[in-house]
Amino acid sequence: MIEILNPGWYTSIQDQGRMGMQEYGIPYSGAMDMNSFNWANKLLNNPLNAALLEMTIKGPKLKFHIETVIVFTGAQMDIKHNGNKASLYSPILIKKNDILECGSCKKGCRTYMSVLGGLQTERILRSRSQCSYITKSGHINKKRILQIKKKSFELNKGVTLKSPLPPYNRKEIEVFKGPEFDSLESVTQLKIVTQTFTISHLNNRMAYQLEEKIIHQLPEIWTTSVLPGTVQLTPNGTLIVLMRDAQVTGGYPRILQLSNHALNILAQKSTRDVLHFKLKSFE
Amino acid sequence: MFQEKSFLKIFQFSETSILLEWKAEPKLKLLNELVVFKGLLNSNLCGIKQITLSYKSLLLQFNDPLKKYKNLKDRILKLYSSFDSSKTTIKSKHWNIPICYESKYASDLRVLSKHLKLSHHQLIKLHTKPIYQIYFIGFLPGFLYLEGLDTKLYHPRKESPTLNVSKGAVGIGGRQTGIYPNQSPGGWNIIGTSPTLMFDPDLKQPCFAKSGDTLSFYSISETTFKKIRENRIPPNFKKLIL
Repeated sequence: MIEILNPGWYTSIQDQGRMGMQEYGIPYSGAMDMNSFNWANKLLNNPLNAALLEMTIKGPKLKFHIETVIVFTGAQMDIKHNGNKASLYSPILIKKNDILECGSCKKGCRTYMSVLGGLQTERILRSRSQCSYITKSGHINKKRILQIKKKSFELNKGVTLKSPLPPYNRKEIEVFKGPEFDSLESVTQLKIVTQTFTISHLNNRMAYQLEEKIIHQLPEIWTTSVLPGTVQLTPNGTLIVLMRDAQVTGGYPRILQLSNHALNILAQKSTRDVLHFKLKSFE
Repeated sequence: MFQEKSFLKIFQFSETSILLEWKAEPKLKLLNELVVFKGLLNSNLCGIKQITLSYKSLLLQFNDPLKKYKNLKDRILKLYSSFDSSKTTIKSKHWNIPICYESKYASDLRVLSKHLKLSHHQLIKLHTKPIYQIYFIGFLPGFLYLEGLDTKLYHPRKESPTLNVSKGAVGIGGRQTGIYPNQSPGGWNIIGTSPTLMFDPDLKQPCFAKSGDTLSFYSISETTFKKIRENRIPPNFKKLIL
């Protein structure tokens, strides 16, 4: 088992989430940056949906009470394994009583730590992902004990360990037209796809608000389905990008939809980072 | 080959999903059509992960990125042109949901009845009389979108939301009424509280109701409220075949 000595800034257990449960109003959840999530499990030969830790801004301090192997992916972070520097994207052998101290994220804001066999925490409604209203807490707390499997490790030989880092510095966010995009005036459309936007301090696993306002005349719409990556435009002109823990329905016009890839890139951006939307079509 | 009907718009929404949107008003006829058509799509299209329903639309999500969107769109239109919702029976349920309207459980009842120029008794009567239609679940896990509020009870949301609306609180906001399944921030005027568990993550089906079901409220005392909440008594229902 793994003991949480200090939970860090915001650390939560995540897997691929609760896809298929949305008719009950349940958020999708799952790792914010699925690309880094997948790498973390691939490098340990874990099942695709194995649960891991998603660390935001600053990582936790952990004590291991079992031998295991772990891997870090995602945002760069200073990691001390029993006081010695450890690196991302390569398996770290852990012995009983080892201490792991995670620092702050650099170049990106979410770092992932997978464990051999995946975290064996409680599964609720098809997933181990923590989420308010579904699991007891939306994140891990101090002193929490995480169970893991005792398992032997074989290096995943088919996988290149030196994987390229995701393009966290990229400002371009690939989007498709949302259902209400064509109802905007063409000057407004042009403005949205050409101007630079800044991520406001209101950004979390549910949604990212952008600072620059877009004045428009769109009416509110009948409450309808939304997805992670849907960009809503509120009556006062604020753009809200819905993220993995967002509500599954909404009444604001849906002007854009991020590509899956763009959603992962955005998940590594944080307050005051800038971006611009690049319109793409499906064909 | 199949012309897009003026009242149905088909739209690729994301790499793995298609949105069907109706131009009709969201009335009972459309809801029934959506419920039946959803079932038809689920049994006739391959690779569907889930279909979610809202007032005027269906969102179809697929397992894999869509490669042949054009074919899929034609297939959906073909299915739509050949189906007749009035010939299909819908199995649904009518739920009876208890509410305690006593002042301790109804923080805004006094102010609201003053605004609406109704006595407490009249307000409760107007709220418990209708048969509400359940459209879909959204906003929060287990939050039911209901239609059927008496026009005499229409009242705008509060100007600033309350930070902690309690679990089970029953509110009126604009033309809508609903039950908060969990403690959360909210802007509706609270006129009562239901002891019924609207969402239970420990159950395989975490919310008892579904799109197309109906619901009505009945008034209970504080004693009954406590009994139902403590024993987690599920609501009673009647089976309906339409």
